[in-house]
Amino acid sequence: MSSDKPEEWDRSRDEIISGEYVLGVLSAEDRRKVEARMAVDRRFAQQVRRWQTNLSGFNDGYEDIRPPADLYNRIERRIFGAGEARAPGLLEGIWGSVMVWRGLTVASLALAAGVIYFEGTTFLPGTRGKPLVAELSGKDSPINLVATFDFDSGRLSVVPAALKQNEPKSLEVWIIDEGKPPQSLGILPDNGNGEIIVTNEMRKSFTEGKTIAISIEPYGGAPGGAPTGAIVALGKTRFL
Amino acid sequence: MDELATLLGRVVLRDRAAFTRLYDLTSAKLFAIALRILRDKGDADEALQEVYIKVWRRAERYQPEQGSPMTWLAAIARNHAIDLIRARKPEASSIEEAFDLAAESAGPEEDAINASEGRRIDRCMQTLESDKAEAVRRAYVEGLSYQELADTYKVPLNTMRTWLRRSLIKLRECLEQ
Repeated sequence: MSSDKPEEWDRSRDEIISGEYVLGVLSAEDRRKVEARMAVDRRFAQQVRRWQTNLSGFNDGYEDIRPPADLYNRIERRIFGAGEARAPGLLEGIWGSVMVWRGLTVASLALAAGVIYFEGTTFLPGTRGKPLVAELSGKDSPINLVATFDFDSGRLSVVPAALKQNEPKSLEVWIIDEGKPPQSLGILPDNGNGEIIVTNEMRKSFTEGKTIAISIEPYGGAPGGAPTGAIVALGKTRFL
Repeated sequence: MDELATLLGRVVLRDRAAFTRLYDLTSAKLFAIALRILRDKGDADEALQEVYIKVWRRAERYQPEQGSPMTWLAAIARNHAIDLIRARKPEASSIEEAFDLAAESAGPEEDAINASEGRRIDRCMQTLESDKAEAVRRAYVEGLSYQELADTYKVPLNTMRTWLRRSLIKLRECLEQ
């Protein structure tokens, strides 16, 4: 900032320039100046984003226009290379409906909860020593969950059981550091034990703000070490 | 709109089905933006491809607390289209030297932006005179430069700059109430 001008002046000038940038009236050279400033000045970048949100109501002025039908294939070819455009995934159809996704989110919450401990045994007294189980399924959900209650320990576990697919599938767990490729933590066992022992090497990856995701993979896990199937659920790590 | 945020999250994880769905839900709006600003179908075709390649590569930059997914996507499309036309038709710089690139500005930082803020602009636009409000809206929607606006409204370039800058200050004051 120039020292011979009051801070207030700088602030309103910055407010105007950030607004001009979002309106789009600036020259190419000035747009680069604004972007360079955004990269080093978080508060200024925040001003730009605030204008972006404030003026987003103007986006209603753009009436939807369908792009040419083959445009998506051209985008896919440019991203994924030739011969791979619109490769229909086995599970592609599952994601077509918002309702299914919402249903899955509920299931994944249970999945994320993993193991729930009960204070005392309030379940009906059953046959001691034998766990009580319930298979949880949703009409359109591709996964089933099994809730198992152990009377002796008061431990209720909710784990994925079987994937309702024509071929056997595995659920693979991933940890993602923003901007980097996902790293596999392992396959969720389908024996009713929803736990994975994380390798020593991977343990240091567990810090706050990482993304944990679960994807549906060929039986035994993603062959290339990177997720190939649909993401069932994801969320960020935080300390409780 | 929640679905778009979920889809962007899955695009971060390189989920192609999610990317397809995202395209299906948003491409008509983004194509309209590119077409309106570039005013050429071939250019808009090309721009839309570039925009979605950016979306695929940068989806992790979307932060929900900073606005809706559609606002974020529309900004990528508008910025891309505006950069293209500005590069084609050079304009005089209007930022003065004192705009210090390296300085960190003072004051508190607000990370969260109220998602409803996009709606209030309509009310605040009514505080502007009608021709100035129209110039603001056309600058945004059509991606017109200061020079193009000055020519359209038949006023000197500096007058147009003053119009828009005063309008931005008025809008900011109104939006903060």
